Amino acid sequence: MSCHLVAPLCLLSLLLPPLSPAAPISPAEPISQAYSLALYMQKNTSTLLQTYLQHQGSPFSDPGFSAPELQLSSLPPAAVPFKTWHALDDGERLNRAQGAFLALTQHLQLVGDDQSDLNPGSPILLAQLGAARLRAQGLLGNMAAIMTALGLPIPPEEDTLGLVTFGASAFERKCRGYVVTREYGHWTDRVVRDLALLKAKYPA
Amino acid sequence: MDIYFSWRHPSQVVDNRRMRMTSSLQWLLSTFILLYLMNEVNSQKKGALRDFKCVTNNLQEWDCSWKAPLGAGHGTVYEVCIEDRPRSCYRLEKTNIRLSALSPGDHEIKINSLHDLQSSMSKFILNEKNVSLVPDTPEILSLSADFSTSTLHLMWNDKGSVFPHHSNVIWEIKILRKQSMELVKLVTYNTTLSGKDVIRHWSWTSDMPLECATHHVGIRCYIDYPLFSGRKEWSDWSPVKNISWIPDSQTKVFPQDKVVLVGSDITFCCVSQEKVLLAQIGHKNCPLIRLDGGNVAIEIHNISASANSGTNVVFTTEDNMFGTVVFAGYPPDSPQKLNCETHDLKEIICSWNPGRPTALVGPRNTSYTLFESFSGKYVKFKRVEALTNENYQLLFQMLPNQEIYNFTLNARNPLGRSASSILVNITERVSPHTPTSFKVKDINSTAVTLFWHLPGNFAKINLLCEIEINKANSAQDLRNVTIKGVENSSYLVAVDKLNPYTIYTFRIRCSAETFWKWSKWSNEKKHLTTEAIPSKGPDTWREWSSDGKNLIIYWKPLPINEANGKILSYNVSCSSNEETQSLSEIPDPQHKAEIQLDKNDYIISVVAKNSVGSSPPSKIASMEIPNDDLKVEQAVGIGKKILLTWHHDPNMTCDYVIKWCNSSRSDPCLMDWKKIPSNSTETIIESDQFRPGVRYNFFLYGCRNQGYQLLRSITGYIEELAPIVAPNFTVEDTSADSILVKWEDIPVEELRGFLRGYLFYFEKGERDTSKRGSVESGRSDIKVKNITDISQKTLRIADLQGKTSYHLVLRAYTDGGMGPEKSMFVVTKENSVGLIIAILIPVAVAVLVGVVTSILCYRKREWIKETFYPDIPNPENCKALQFQKSVCEGSSALKTLEMNPCTPNNVEVLETRSTVPKIEDTEIISPVAERPDDSSDVEPENHVVVSYCPPIIEEELPNPAVDEAGGTAQVVYIDVQSMYQPQAKPEEEQDTDPVVGAGYKPQMRLPINSAAEATAAGDGVDKTAGYRPQANVNTWNLVSPDSPRSTDSNSEIVSFGSPCSINSRQFLIPPKDEDSPKSNGGGWSFTNFFQNKPND
Repeated sequence: MSCHLVAPLCLLSLLLPPLSPAAPISPAEPISQAYSLALYMQKNTSTLLQTYLQHQGSPFSDPGFSAPELQLSSLPPAAVPFKTWHALDDGERLNRAQGAFLALTQHLQLVGDDQSDLNPGSPILLAQLGAARLRAQGLLGNMAAIMTALGLPIPPEEDTLGLVTFGASAFERKCRGYVVTREYGHWTDRVVRDLALLKAKYPA
Repeated sequence: MDIYFSWRHPSQVVDNRRMRMTSSLQWLLSTFILLYLMNEVNSQKKGALRDFKCVTNNLQEWDCSWKAPLGAGHGTVYEVCIEDRPRSCYRLEKTNIRLSALSPGDHEIKINSLHDLQSSMSKFILNEKNVSLVPDTPEILSLSADFSTSTLHLMWNDKGSVFPHHSNVIWEIKILRKQSMELVKLVTYNTTLSGKDVIRHWSWTSDMPLECATHHVGIRCYIDYPLFSGRKEWSDWSPVKNISWIPDSQTKVFPQDKVVLVGSDITFCCVSQEKVLLAQIGHKNCPLIRLDGGNVAIEIHNISASANSGTNVVFTTEDNMFGTVVFAGYPPDSPQKLNCETHDLKEIICSWNPGRPTALVGPRNTSYTLFESFSGKYVKFKRVEALTNENYQLLFQMLPNQEIYNFTLNARNPLGRSASSILVNITERVSPHTPTSFKVKDINSTAVTLFWHLPGNFAKINLLCEIEINKANSAQDLRNVTIKGVENSSYLVAVDKLNPYTIYTFRIRCSAETFWKWSKWSNEKKHLTTEAIPSKGPDTWREWSSDGKNLIIYWKPLPINEANGKILSYNVSCSSNEETQSLSEIPDPQHKAEIQLDKNDYIISVVAKNSVGSSPPSKIASMEIPNDDLKVEQAVGIGKKILLTWHHDPNMTCDYVIKWCNSSRSDPCLMDWKKIPSNSTETIIESDQFRPGVRYNFFLYGCRNQGYQLLRSITGYIEELAPIVAPNFTVEDTSADSILVKWEDIPVEELRGFLRGYLFYFEKGERDTSKRGSVESGRSDIKVKNITDISQKTLRIADLQGKTSYHLVLRAYTDGGMGPEKSMFVVTKENSVGLIIAILIPVAVAVLVGVVTSILCYRKREWIKETFYPDIPNPENCKALQFQKSVCEGSSALKTLEMNPCTPNNVEVLETRSTVPKIEDTEIISPVAERPDDSSDVEPENHVVVSYCPPIIEEELPNPAVDEAGGTAQVVYIDVQSMYQPQAKPEEEQDTDPVVGAGYKPQMRLPINSAAEATAAGDGVDKTAGYRPQANVNTWNLVSPDSPRSTDSNSEIVSFGSPCSINSRQFLIPPKDEDSPKSNGGGWSFTNFFQNKPND
């Protein structure tokens, strides 16, 4: 576990922009940085989902597996009516994304722990889950910078998981992991669009 | 068909019989039933009691009951009396009575029923055997369920206090499932009653998860009391209790996260409000077992091992999916190859192989605990997931003052546990780490110290270390050393017996003295040992310069094992009694020095120096002792070596030296030398410098106190080759019939071997003819001369033709082969004298012949005239002809003699056996007739003689006693003239060779013995016979010279062809005139003259 913690800290320090609240910064740069990171994350989301499913056995690993009915109450769904999404103001848009990725980082951590029990001999899966969590944390940092630049309040970090998750059965963990990795992809897709919108709004 | 019919009849008969029997049985049965019913009616009419029976539940009280007769209504009073019990009549209004248990045996019970003043009496015999033991119905105190394990827990009171006796009880428990109460299990459970109430517990694990279906449980019992002789019966079933699950969430699949053994059967169920459409395990769909409500179950048989994340079981409803994960695996295999050892005597490392994989990972994986029983300590294995199939290992800290350890390795997982044990004396299981910090330090030129670091605390044991010492071009040296172990891990050892100034490679490995395992080899360390003084002086030789004034001193560089370092320089000194000259500090690459010396009696010493010091001097005397008796010998090597031998010379006190050099070099010449101990008499010289076909001179010197003496001088080749050039030759002189050739020596370098001779070829031929080319042996027209005298330098070729071109070829040869050819064309000179002689001789001969012929002709002119131009005689004067005419009257011609008209007159045959020759006129005695069994050799002769027609000749067979031929018949021709001679003549003739004698004599004179004739006939040499008739022919010829005469005088036919005239009587008459011999001679032909000439 220690190695799991040290590495993300190092990466965080790289990903987080230097905090200097005194000087007002143009939002374009953090938006651009966040956008680049989101694009990079987008490339890997489907790989993460496929890798995850391959390790869970049938029917998860069956080709074309999809269970949209599975949802997690602790994780806000990315799907939103387009009109509602379009009508969101910058603050709300960033707030929702921020909240979602906060939840995702915590859930990815949980899924990583679950998988170290279920698939301890699969370092590739564990590494990809770890990497996804770090990127989500990186994106959180980037979004915080944007909000700072835009002068928006940064929502406080809260425990989205609560106590309910510890007694989960193996099947629930597999499903939970599936929902998390799936929603991670969906939210990444959504945040790419969010940031593209912001990028267009705040050109460099 | 016929057969069928015939068999059917009997079967029908049988059937009919059966039917008859059945109908009669039915008739009997109905009769019996009717009788019984009538009896019943009769008895009831009398008011008798029915169905008296007794039961007990505790063996202390019997509860007997009966049924009232028909028509007996309320208010009937029964008086029950037990006959054999005093005052035991009870009056009661119910139809049962509780009696205390009666003693064994029959008891008569009288029951008098009183109803409406009517009474009826019934009697029953009561015995314990007729009493039934029926226990009270048990009551379930509680039924609970452990849903996680699908286990039901049942609790009830056995009510042992009710039954006073100790007795076995059988409990029967039934488990019913679903609302439809399907029996799933009926089990019996045995206990004993102890006279006290005991709460009984019973548990049962369901294959079906309890959550999915309501389970009902009922119980009854049976008391098996052996002393009770009556009937024992089961109690009634208790009221069932059920257990069902109250769903705490919407839907669940059970069981969750269960770990099962591979191959077991398992049931999964799903509690669902919605309709479950599909259930699958892995890829496989399973048939659904419908339970109450929407619940379903599936049964999995012989489950296979799961993947890491388990096997998913999924139930799918229309819009949702529910599932669970099952982990199918194996219990841990017993740890294999458990082995404990230590690297450093601080920690014990126990390693093992997990054996068969369990297919369980993560929290379900096997946990290992290593337990040491003497100390009671244990360590747990901390899993590293990567080590799936490799050796696992655990570290156990060694305990002070404990050497023997008894380890037990326990393996455990959710499916079971296993263990392995090992007892070790840890000091015998030391496998040291690889030695580190390996260093080498010099002690002196032949010894070093090795230092190394061996982590661990080996103070209690001795270490055995192996040192590997490698030297270039040398065998590996392994040395073992035993070292006392130390606490601080630093070790050192001295290694001696090394060579100075040598590069060694060292490495080391260690083990405990009680060997268990070697450590790995340490790193290699190269080390050059320090220098030492050279151990020997250089090998030295000296040569006087050609003018004899300077002495050149040679020495060889010291081999590395004697130099003991880098040779820096040499010191050379020459000392005599009076003076010492020295040359010092001659730098190393130079191995030669020249000193001018006045005398020749010096001792030269050479010393080699390296950085440490000087070698002992090597000394050599300068003086050369002359040797007058010296021959140059030849030697040829074998392979690349040359063997030289010599006789032992006791005068040679120190050693022998052989020096050699290329013979073509000028003096002083020295290629190399070799020293041989004085007791040797042979040596093999071998050098890389030797080349085949090169001549070397070898000089054997013997060493005496005062100097060296040349003992032998040998010229030799390592290998002889063929010459590479042909001898250069010229023609010195040419005459008409000879050529003088002269050639030169071939230089030694080009000869390439010892010259063994020359081959000289010559043939007729011109420069441009086709014959030109190499001279091949075997050609008949080539003449070859092999000149083996190598000192010969000229050759005269004689017997040649004049003015002819000759092709001359010369080549030299050695034992290595033939050299190339050198050829030349020479034309011999014209021979004028010969020509003259050739003309003169035939002329002279022709003249001489002419002269001789002329003289002969002149001197024999008379004879010639007679022969060629004879005077024709007048036939009138010829008396012979007249005589002939008178004898052979009627013959028309004289030229030939007719055989037929000739009538033999007298032939006398002399028989061989007759001692005295007997002459009988006109009588022929055939020897064949006389001696038919005469020898076959003679036979043809005799035959010839006999067939001789007409044998006019008088034959005389000589006396056989005289005849040396022995037994052969002899025919003697008797000339008329010498009729009386045979007596004398044959005696002379007997001594002579019969052939010779017979050959010529008959021509003139006669007697021919038949032996000679036989020999002549047998050998085919007919000459002797041939001449005989000729004699007669001559006589005959005299008479008829014109008759055709065969030139073949050998022919018998010819000779016998005309004996007619021979045997004529006229011939037998002796000659009367002197002409007849003449004419006899004149009748010879010229050839006869020549043939007879030698005889004359």
